[in-house]
Amino acid sequence: MPANWSYVLAAYGLAAVALFGYWRHLARRARALTARPGAAVSHRTPNRTTS
Amino acid sequence: MTRVLGWLAALGLLAGVAAGFGYAPREAIQGNVQRIMYLHVPSVLTAYLAFGLVLLGSIAYLATRRPGWDRLAASAAEIGVLFTAITIVSGSIWGKPTWGTWWTWDARLTSTAILLLVYVGYLMLRGLVDDAEARGRYAAVVGILGAVNIPIVHFSVKWWRALHQPSTILGPGPSPIDPAIGLALLVNWIAFTLLFAYFLARRIEIARLEET
Repeated sequence: MPANWSYVLAAYGLAAVALFGYWRHLARRARALTARPGAAVSHRTPNRTTS
Repeated sequence: MTRVLGWLAALGLLAGVAAGFGYAPREAIQGNVQRIMYLHVPSVLTAYLAFGLVLLGSIAYLATRRPGWDRLAASAAEIGVLFTAITIVSGSIWGKPTWGTWWTWDARLTSTAILLLVYVGYLMLRGLVDDAEARGRYAAVVGILGAVNIPIVHFSVKWWRALHQPSTILGPGPSPIDPAIGLALLVNWIAFTLLFAYFLARRIEIARLEET
């Protein structure tokens, strides 16, 4: 059986691209959501106004 | 905690690569292409774990109607699809030099492809329903029904004549794997589980932010 390193590199390379791409997608999405004005407020205790 | 999980996953993956390419010996019959196993097998085991959590979250959501369970199911499904896709692609690349073909309609391959399609459908369904309560309910039903396919995938090599080899680590009886190869596989399995836990924690947090 020949070494077949090209197949090994292709499998690991594609998996690395997929996993790294998903990690970046999550990081971008989290940044976009936390940058929203409303999102920052949602972490605080809501302001209650008395009528 | 999530950051710690991320670093542990990164260290685990480095250890996995070192174990798979440095510690584990060259397999006698297949040669170096067998090293794809350290990616292929942990990927499918992680996918099983993910879809098992989809089942758990779906049942718990239908029982309690707490949105947290729906977030768990949805997040686990997305990551499960990612790992199933990696399983199929890496298996296909492994199949070409060993079986002489990228793809064959073998029972294991076909049932895994169906598993992928079911959970892609699950995610598409979630995107089609606007009402959060209805979305959670419909998705939970698909999440429960979809889990029926998990044992079919796993036992397909036993139930039908298949080109794919039978189970060697989750099969009955002691594993015939060489201890060095088994250890490299275990290290990669742990690394993939840590990576899954990290992705899941981040994805659930994003789902929570999306609902605010």
